[in-house]
Order: sequence, then structure tokens, then C-alpha cells
Amino acid sequence: MTPSFLGGLSFALGGRKLSVEESVAAGRTLSGEAELSDAGFRFHHVCTDDESAYDLALAAVGGRPDQPAGIDAIVYATCLPVNANLAPPSRFEASGDVKDLMDYPASRLQAALGLDRAIVVGVGQQACTSMLGSIRLARGLLAAEPEMERILCVSADRFPPGARYEQAYSLISDGAASCVVTRHDGDYRLVAAHHITNGAMVSAGDDETVGAYFSYTHRLVTELLAKAGRTPADLAWVVPQNTDPKAWRILARLLGLDDERVFAASLADVAHVISGDNVVNLSWLEERGVLESGDLVVLVMAGYGMNWQALLVEKT
Amino acid sequence: MSPSRPVVLVTGAGGYLGRRLGRRFLDRGDHEVVLTVRTEAGRSALAHDLAPASARAQIVVADLGAPDPFTDVDERLRRRITHIVHAAAVTRFNVDRELARQVNVEGTGHVVTLARQCPHLVRLAHLSTVYATGLREGVILEEPDDGAAGFANAYEWSKGAAERCVVDQGDDLPWTVARVATVVADDESGRVTQHNAFHETLKLCFYGLLSLLPGRADTPLYFVTGDAVTDAVARLSDPAAPGGVYHVAPDRSATLTLEQVLDLAFTRFEQDEEFRHKRILRPLLADRESFELLVGGVSSFAGSLVHRALANVAPFARQMYVAKVLDNRRLGAALPQHRAPDPAALVTATVDHLVESRWGRRSEVVA
Ligand SMILES: NC(=O)c1ccc[n+]([C@@H]2O[C@H](COP(=O)([O-])OP(=O)(O)OC[C@H]3O[C@@H](n4cnc5c(N)ncnc54)[C@H](OP(=O)(O)O)[C@@H]3O)[C@@H](O)[C@H]2O)c1
Repeated sequence: MTPSFLGGLSFALGGRKLSVEESVAAGRTLSGEAELSDAGFRFHHVCTDDESAYDLALAAVGGRPDQPAGIDAIVYATCLPVNANLAPPSRFEASGDVKDLMDYPASRLQAALGLDRAIVVGVGQQACTSMLGSIRLARGLLAAEPEMERILCVSADRFPPGARYEQAYSLISDGAASCVVTRHDGDYRLVAAHHITNGAMVSAGDDETVGAYFSYTHRLVTELLAKAGRTPADLAWVVPQNTDPKAWRILARLLGLDDERVFAASLADVAHVISGDNVVNLSWLEERGVLESGDLVVLVMAGYGMNWQALLVEKT
Repeated sequence: MSPSRPVVLVTGAGGYLGRRLGRRFLDRGDHEVVLTVRTEAGRSALAHDLAPASARAQIVVADLGAPDPFTDVDERLRRRITHIVHAAAVTRFNVDRELARQVNVEGTGHVVTLARQCPHLVRLAHLSTVYATGLREGVILEEPDDGAAGFANAYEWSKGAAERCVVDQGDDLPWTVARVATVVADDESGRVTQHNAFHETLKLCFYGLLSLLPGRADTPLYFVTGDAVTDAVARLSDPAAPGGVYHVAPDRSATLTLEQVLDLAFTRFEQDEEFRHKRILRPLLADRESFELLVGGVSSFAGSLVHRALANVAPFARQMYVAKVLDNRRLGAALPQHRAPDPAALVTATVDHLVESRWGRRSEVVA
């Protein structure tokens, strides 16, 4: 496969930082304070009333020191379909015009950043795995279209007003993440990508979701490593989603990994940022300065649909 | 003077094995049958269930948790009792230690005391479990166990202590301890009328609620049918069979490993369209520490269903790492006609029944 690289990680979080205690008291969760604290959550980030998912996307992309330049495509992912249309629902209700269901954030982002050369691609229906799915798609685009050099991947979601900020026992944050997939140079070489979808579980309840978590995640990582001709022993780091760390302590044992190598340090502070967790955690890992050239890192995510996605990257 | 007709008293006669044993003695017709149950309601239910044969039985209420449970077994009756089959126990794996002590240990003590007051007693048969030897690994002989290996849960501990009570306090009595393996079906057709941890665990796997199971792939599992146990215990209750400890269990060569059982179960599950559609993966076998992490952590990443499910599985989890080789030569010598069913056929038939009946919810299949 054409070599491709990943870099320029960035993210933005909803403007209001709330403690578990506050959100439990405000009825934003199903679980109580004790359960959420026991799972490692301390704070989460919720959009202010006037903040949209698109604002978060713009902040994630614009917040990067290296403003995207020479971008050939934007792959813009949303977990919730509602975040793929910027028009308020009232506009369509009033007009009856489906155009009001197609006020696309990706188009607005392209215009706002002046990325005139970039085509836009929307990614949906991959839930929390959609950032990893976007990177995979970008990698595929680079392989298929030799004239493309740089692809901006963005994922941005906020929960609608009134939504519960807890899914499958994880505390949720509104947030956006971005990165750039390039043909040459980048902080990480993309080694392999893997995705499993089990559509029959699209309406799985929380218990079934948790029930399937271990076996599917184990299979996902095992198959990803097999694709790359690697073994768990080759991994320097696992960068998972922000869910109860006990889940990964168990998975690490099942995979034969040292659980010290599982890095989800942002969990307490940022909670589960929908599809942004891997970018957030990898950014935190970078900041720690512990990554070395040649380190293999696996990014893992599970989401509704049901989807399980993982990427294997190598620090350059 | 010995009574003309044997009189058998069965405790726990409202339970799964006690009821079968009671019915068996009634059907034989050569015994006078006394059945004990824990409550009045239990008495009516049993009388109704065994009718019309129950008219030939005396049903007595005896709560083994009470200080003097056999007050309704009067002096005259005691003098006529020839056999006691003790099948009453709290059988939940998650029973708390105090209740287990009260009913299973002290209750057995009361049964031994009753036995001493029966001058014509020819057999005290105590139903125990192969797990009464707790976490003991390797070859386990049909002999009393000192409990030194420790136990996975309070149920096992109490059954071990109950055995020692029979052996120590009843040393001058004609005692027999029948250590029963896990009953997975009523008979070789695979019909299941009582669900235990085996059935509940498979149910969780079938509905995709448990993708991690405790255990080692090569742990042998000892399965029996309710019919085979009833037959063996009834025969061992006959003084023609020598007393002592018996393993009412197949020998190692007629067992399946945990992995083989799961393979058979999932092969059958995968024939079910609804199951296949959901693409539920086979569960992973977790090492002990991983499984304990899951059980300990489940409150924060699983809901009440999984929580309850794990509460059923967790108490016996440790046994799934213990490889027992049950010696059953004494059973073979005492009951040469006793044969263990083909384990793969039994598991397949049982799982077939469970899947077809959706664990008893589709009652028309069960009937
Ligand atoms: N089935 C198996 O797989 C298996 C395997 C190994 C060993 N065993 C042993 O076999 C024996 C019978 O088991 P089972 O499967 O028939 O169990 P079961 O269906 O649970 O029956 C146990 C009986 O004991 C009675 N009991 C409980 N507490 C009592 C008390 N305080 N006083 C008087 N009676 C009380 C119960 O009455 P209530 O329902 O009214 O409480 C019930 O009728 C037990 O000793 C068990 O340890 C069974």
C-alpha cells in the first residue's frame, strides 16, 4: 500500500467544564457519582448554549499551530447525524425545503479555511469510531488518487440540548478532533487499519454493548496485528477510548500486553469525547515526551452500529 | 424387632433431587415413604405434585434452620425409620456463609441426631457435591476430605463441613456420602427442568451478555443427569451397597473440558437463526485475575443485567481453574450397572433443549 502518514493532531472541547458531581446532580447521567468516579471520570466538557459542533471543528482545526495549507480533501466525520447539518430543525419545519437539511459543516469549513482545492467527504454512521474511519478513508484516497497529497480529517460532535451525557456507562464530552493524513512525512506512519461492523447489533442495549466489548475488541486487535504481521509484544502503546480503565486492564491481560502500556490518561479530565478520544490521548502521550521513533501504537475504538475500529501507527 | 416394611425418610423432598428420590421410593411401592419439606406451602405443593401417589406418603414440615426441626417426626415413627436420604440444602452458589452454616451444616447435624434416634436405621445417605472437596486438584479419592484445599464459596464450604459432620458425628451410623456431579439435564434426552449455574452461564452467552468466561480451556467438567443421580443414590441407600463416600460422577475419560463444552454449545447456538444473525462471538476464557477484575469492576461498566449475570457466575469461577480427577472406582464396584452418558451427546441434547425452549420461556417445547 502507498505509504501514508499521520500528524497535526489537535482537538477542542465543549466550553463548559463540569464535574461528575455537578452533572449527576443536574441529571445529565444515568449512573451515580460513585459509579462514574469508580470508572475514573472526574470532569466532562459540554457545549455552551450557543456553541455548535461546527464551532468545535473550527476550533480544533484553527487551534493548530500549522494551519492546514495545501489540503486536497476534507474528511469530516460526525457520530450523530444531527451534527452533519448546521441548520436548526426549525428552519426545515418552517420551509419544508430539504435544502435546509443540507447545511453541511464540511462545506462551511472548506470555505472558512479557504481550502479551495479541497474536496469534501462526509463520514457518518460509524459512531465513536468515525475519526479512525476517516483516517482509514483518507489513507485509501491517497492510495487511489496519486495527485492527492494531504487530507484533513475532522470529527466533531455535540449532544443535542436535553441529551443524557452518558452512553454505555461512559461519561460523554462534546468535542472535535482533527489530524492530517499525508503522503510524505508525518509524526506517525500508518501501518494498518482494521474495521469490524456488526450491523445486527445496531440497536444493542448497553448490556449487549458491554457484553460484546471484550470479544470484539480482542478480535479487532488480533486481526489488525495479524494484517501487519505483528504481535502484541511488538506494541509500545495502546491508545484506547476513554472508558473504565478496568476494561483495558482486562483486555491487556487477554492480549498478553503489559497494561502499563495502555494510555488513556485524559479520561479523568476530558471523559469520552465521542470519536475524539484517540486523538486526545495520543496528543497527551506526545506531550509526555515518551514516544520514541519506531514505537508501534495501536489506536482502538468501539462504537454503535456496532463498529469496532483500530489503527496501527509507527512513530517516525 | 425389625419393622416389616422399610421406612424411608427423604429430606428436601420438595427440591429437584429430593422430589425425584421421593417419587422413586413411592413408585417402587415396597417402602413406606416420609417426605420432609421446609414449609407448609412446600407441603401442599409437594402433595399436589406427587398426587395421587402422595396419598401413600407422609409429608412432614421440618425446617433444618430451626433448632429442633424434626418435632413432627414422632417417637413411634423414629422407631420405624430404616433409611434416611438427606437431600435438603440451600443450593445457591451465592448463599451467605451464615445461612449455609445454619441449614447445610447444622441442619445436617440435626439429621445425624435424628438418625441416632432411629434404632432400625440401616442407611443414612447424605447428598453432597463433588465440590465439597473445594479447590482440591488432581486425583480425588472416594474418601472423607479434610477441607484443607479451601473453597470457592460458602456453599462448597458448607457441603464440605456437612460431610465432616456426617463422618465424625455419625461414625457409628451406617452412613453413605454421595458426592454428586453437576446435574445438567433430567435425562439423556437433554430435558432440563431445573436451571443451575451451567444453564445460566450458557444463557448469558447465548444472549450476548457475557463475552468473558472464567476458566482454563482444559478444566474437566463432570456432568450427570437427574435420572442417573436418582438411580445411583437410591441404590446406594440400600444397605447391600457398602457405606462410605461415593463419587456419583463419570470418570475423567467420560468428561469434557471447558473448551469442548463451549465448542459444543456454540456449534448448537450457531444453528439458531436468531443467534447467528446477531453474530455473537464465542467468549474468551479469562485468567483468574482478569475475571476478578471484571467482577470487581462491573458496577462501573455494566448494567444490572450483566451485574446479576456475573453474580451468578462469580461464586463458582474459581472452580473453573481447578482440574479435578474424580476417582469413582468405589461407585463402579458398588453399582456395576451404572453407566455415564456420552458427555458430548448429553451436552448437545441439553443445549438443544435450552435453545429450543429459550431456557424455559417457550414452555410448549419444555412440556
Ligand atoms: N442438582 C445438582 O446439580 C446437584 C449437584 C451436586 C450436589 N447436589 C446436592 O444434592 C442435594 C439436592 O440438591 P437439589 O438440586 O435437589 O437442590 P434444590 O432443588 O435446591 O433442593 C433443595 C431442597 O432443600 C430444601 N431446603 C432448603 N433450606 C431448607 C431448610 N432450611 N429446611 C429444610 N429444607 C430446606 C429446599 O426447600 P425450599 O425450596 O422450600 O427452600 C429444597 O426443597 C443438595 O444437597 C445438593 O447440595 C445437587
